Amino acid sequence: MGYEEVRVDRPLLLRLLPFISVGTFLLLWEWSVRSGMVPEVLLAPPSQVFSLFFEKLSEPNPDGAVLAVHAWTSLQEAFLGYGLSLLVGIPLGLAMGWFRIVEGIARPIFELIRPIPPIAWIPLTVFWFGIGLTGKVFIIWIAGIVPCVINAYVGVRMTQPTLIQMARTYGATDWQIFCQLCVPSALPMIFGALQIALAYCWTNLVGAELLAADTGLGYLITMGGRLGRPDIVVLGMVCVGLSGAILGFIIDIIEKRLLAGIRR
Amino acid sequence: MSSEHVKIRVTNLTKRFGDLTVLDSIAFEVKAGELVAIVGPTGCGKTTFLNTLSKLMPATEGSILIDGEEANPRRHNISYVFQEPTCLPWRTVRENVAYGMEIKGVPHAERMERTDRIMEIVGLSSCAHLYPNQVSASMVQRIAVSRAFAVEPDLLLMDEPYGQLDVKLRYYLEDELVTLWQKLQSTVLFVTHNIEEAVYVAERILVLSNKPTKVKAEIPVDLPRPRDFLEPRFMEIRQQVTELIRWW
Repeated sequence: MGYEEVRVDRPLLLRLLPFISVGTFLLLWEWSVRSGMVPEVLLAPPSQVFSLFFEKLSEPNPDGAVLAVHAWTSLQEAFLGYGLSLLVGIPLGLAMGWFRIVEGIARPIFELIRPIPPIAWIPLTVFWFGIGLTGKVFIIWIAGIVPCVINAYVGVRMTQPTLIQMARTYGATDWQIFCQLCVPSALPMIFGALQIALAYCWTNLVGAELLAADTGLGYLITMGGRLGRPDIVVLGMVCVGLSGAILGFIIDIIEKRLLAGIRR
Repeated sequence: MSSEHVKIRVTNLTKRFGDLTVLDSIAFEVKAGELVAIVGPTGCGKTTFLNTLSKLMPATEGSILIDGEEANPRRHNISYVFQEPTCLPWRTVRENVAYGMEIKGVPHAERMERTDRIMEIVGLSSCAHLYPNQVSASMVQRIAVSRAFAVEPDLLLMDEPYGQLDVKLRYYLEDELVTLWQKLQSTVLFVTHNIEEAVYVAERILVLSNKPTKVKAEIPVDLPRPRDFLEPRFMEIRQQVTELIRWW
């Protein structure tokens, strides 16, 4: 029985395609501003944003902080909120999927809270936590917890019934089935949730920073708007986009490592 | 091979879903170390029969005794090989074979030893470190069969485990099943709709009737092993069973 692992390389063109697409996009963008098709007061060309990026690495004006400080503030808020939403949402969703009692208690409340947009919580957040870090983390937590609960719940529900029957005939307890079958079965969905929750948290960052902030990428965007500086706005947006993409990419790599058996 | 000790005693086993009686006071005995095949017409409730026997489904009436005690998946070693693949995709082949023993709480050293032994018998050793989706369908079914034998079951139930494989592989795996059973002396109930397969592997064949299902006949297969499909006595038994379940 000659079973061997085989590696298949992707063709060169497929590997280059992402770079070609990003490059073309940037060129078109640059050209549309340079040629005057889009006025410079409405949109900054990428080259200008690029040079502003280097300038902002050391120059705190006009918005009051260097780029690294903004990014660090945002990362802190987002990661605290994100981490908390994973910590609460995933176990809750998993338990809701397997234990009827947990589902009965938590599901109705969750279904009521779910449709409320996270930024609708801003006024209450100000009452409860004031305008510091806690309030922003709370908003981001609310945003991130929804996909965690839903995906973990659905993931457990999707456990193949014959696997559960198989374990039962061996005499497995409910807890063993939950830990050994349902949780691993739910892993692909949970990793999906990591990505979706990250996106939700990251996109609600700007919303959260509407709460009187003095640093943060969302604040940078708001300031750019107030100062009438499209280059600052775009820089803030690009930073939010890029760092979000990088984080997503890192999660993707971890996912592939951990799910080797399921998705190979 | 088999001693006269009665391992499994089923009495008055009845299963009703509302007004529909699927199993109607089924009674039979299986001796320790016996391999009994169960055949019956299509839709006669074979799967319900196995699900009730394995305690996945409560019986409406009747009892299933293993060594004189009411069967209980926690206390007894019951294994069930399902028709569809039941490997855990996140475990390697080797970890899958060991899974049943893990639940049963077999100590680590013994678990490893038994896993190695069984994988050697069925030829899984070379793909021990692979994942189920990297091996062929027949290998996947072999993993399930090995896992079932590995717990040294009091009762091993098989629900058409080779139903979805091609003829050549079937022959091969049937031989393998007989080898495993002979070496490990487990008590096996093998459900199939393939009469030839039943005559080939079993020591005794229980023929089920149409719904409501009863045991219609019991046919001993006293042929020496290895068996030959073309031998006159083999064909005679096959014919006899076929006559009993023909629905056309």
